[in-house]
Amino acid sequence: MEGIQREDSEALSHLYDRYNGILKALVLRVIHNEAEADDLLQEIFMEIWNQAKNFSAQRGKPLGWMVTLARRRAIDGLRKKQAYARAEERLQHETEQQPDAWVHNSTEEEILDGDRRVLIRRVIGMLPPAQQQAIELAFFRGMSQREIAAKTNTPLGTVKTRLELGLKKIYDGLKELRDEL
Amino acid sequence: MSFEEFQNRARLFVVGALDPDEMAEFEGARREFGEKAEAFIVECYSLSEAFALSLKPAKASDQIKARLMEMVKNRQTH
Repeated sequence: MEGIQREDSEALSHLYDRYNGILKALVLRVIHNEAEADDLLQEIFMEIWNQAKNFSAQRGKPLGWMVTLARRRAIDGLRKKQAYARAEERLQHETEQQPDAWVHNSTEEEILDGDRRVLIRRVIGMLPPAQQQAIELAFFRGMSQREIAAKTNTPLGTVKTRLELGLKKIYDGLKELRDEL
Repeated sequence: MSFEEFQNRARLFVVGALDPDEMAEFEGARREFGEKAEAFIVECYSLSEAFALSLKPAKASDQIKARLMEMVKNRQTH
């Protein structure tokens, strides 16, 4: 990240190689369209390049900053294209968002990433389905608590409780996992 | 707002689930708790990182990186 702040394009190239898979998966999960996800990914890395000066290591890790930026761009993109209806249709037919990408020999780093993914999914999977759904709608669909309440026909207070409890459990679970991660 | 309530709100904040009417109250508490609040918010970003890392990585088209690097190169030369 320091390299990008110094406008070293080689540093951006390394950052892209390391994180494009994670950020594209996130964007794809939000908008459910390969071509749009690729276009957004390019815009996101350009924004990372342009906004790198605003990143401060004291305020968090680069990945957290990039995920926040990518999620916001993806949700903005979804709203701009008014793709909610189309995405919902696709969502109903998709149980898992990803085609089998990464068809090549795994590097050590990818294997570690895979292990980490299993551990994180285990933590999330321990939540009751209603809490998982509330978090999914908030994080990957960008829905407000009121929108979640309306969509799931649930009182607003219950949605709030589900989000708070679910996020706390995941936060605590991640803390326990930190040594393994 | 107690610090425990602030912690709940901070977790909602980092995943983008804080309603606009809660934001002002949250920002007020954030100022009130100062460094302690900022340190907690930094920790909370582990949540959004984890949601992204829970997904199977997706391979971007090879053209994307080439286009990106070309755009950066053009900016640097102008």
